Amino acid sequence: MANPLTNPMAADHSTSGFETTGAAGESSRKSSFWSDFFPLFARSILGAAFVYMGMQKVLAPSEFLSLVRQYNLTNNYLVLNSIAAALPWFEVFCGLLLFTGVAVRGASLVVLAMLLPFSIVVLKRALGMASSQGLAFCAVQFDCGCGGGEINICRKLMENSGLMLIGIWLLFAPAQKLALRYALFAP
Amino acid sequence: MVKIFFKPILREAVVIAILGAVLAFAANALSPKGLNIQRNYFPADISSAAPQTNATPTRATNTVPAEENVAARLKEKGLQPLNSAEARQRFDDPRYQQGLIIFIDVRNAQEYEEAHIPGAYHFDYYYPGNEIGQVVAACQPAEQIVVYCGGGKCDASENAALMLRDRAKIPGTKLFVYTGGTTEWKEKRFPMEAGGRNSGKSVDESHGR
Repeated sequence: MANPLTNPMAADHSTSGFETTGAAGESSRKSSFWSDFFPLFARSILGAAFVYMGMQKVLAPSEFLSLVRQYNLTNNYLVLNSIAAALPWFEVFCGLLLFTGVAVRGASLVVLAMLLPFSIVVLKRALGMASSQGLAFCAVQFDCGCGGGEINICRKLMENSGLMLIGIWLLFAPAQKLALRYALFAP
Repeated sequence: MVKIFFKPILREAVVIAILGAVLAFAANALSPKGLNIQRNYFPADISSAAPQTNATPTRATNTVPAEENVAARLKEKGLQPLNSAEARQRFDDPRYQQGLIIFIDVRNAQEYEEAHIPGAYHFDYYYPGNEIGQVVAACQPAEQIVVYCGGGKCDASENAALMLRDRAKIPGTKLFVYTGGTTEWKEKRFPMEAGGRNSGKSVDESHGR
């Protein structure tokens, strides 16, 4: 538990019971929402998205393998197999960490380190398709191996951008109370 | 200041990356659907096979030129492509009933049970398991072997044919790949069977219609 004497934010929460009335009470309630429930909501969205997308691939790893192959990232089948075998489970693992609130900042950083390159390779492939087939960029759709089947790439990139914004916000958000173990190496 | 802020986050991220990777590989090894890391699932040259699938982003673009490309690619690898009419011709051939012509469906078990070409053997290319022995035994006396998957972007039939030729030593002259697969077979309204091999159950019956 945070010490109210050393942590002004904790002191603020200690007076933020729902029984509190008046202007000061309103302010405390807002503070409680933004510092407790909004981060919980944000990491639940990011975590749930990763668990869902990861599970879609875990349930059909051979299809995911074929989809990864289409990106032409490598000719080495050991590398290709390793990506297709481990990445879905890794996504589920990171999603669960965020969902339960374990090592939230570290997990957010790892998730960002996945989302950024994923988005870049999807963007690159979509741009290639748009130019080779004379399509408008937002008309391009294919199964990007992201876990949701065939999808409009504009929409997918928007979704990824939203998830990345949440991830960045979680990196800088204040320490959260409703987390199992917010910081892994906390004293 | 930045260092103080990011150092513990980086430390956490490294621990998550290592632990996550170990758990991910362990989960894959334990999962019944896990991939075999050491198996080359795409015996065909990856770089030459992949652009074809790249060029088919939507169902609407799976047009004739793409099929011609697939046929050319198969021929390049020493495989013989079949179109729907040629596949149907083999299906209607009396030798099909005698086991001298066989069809092999290389899609997953669920897809096979939902609908397959009547009498086709099932051989899940990604999880061959015990089916490989039965399929190879059926291939030995056969004069013609038609391998198919879902058609379109699917290339499991091509890889399965290469596997049968290169690893099970089935002569390439006997192997044919039906490029249209179940998608085209269904579109042509050719007969399909649900359930197990030779169950006699039509797809409509299995849906209770």
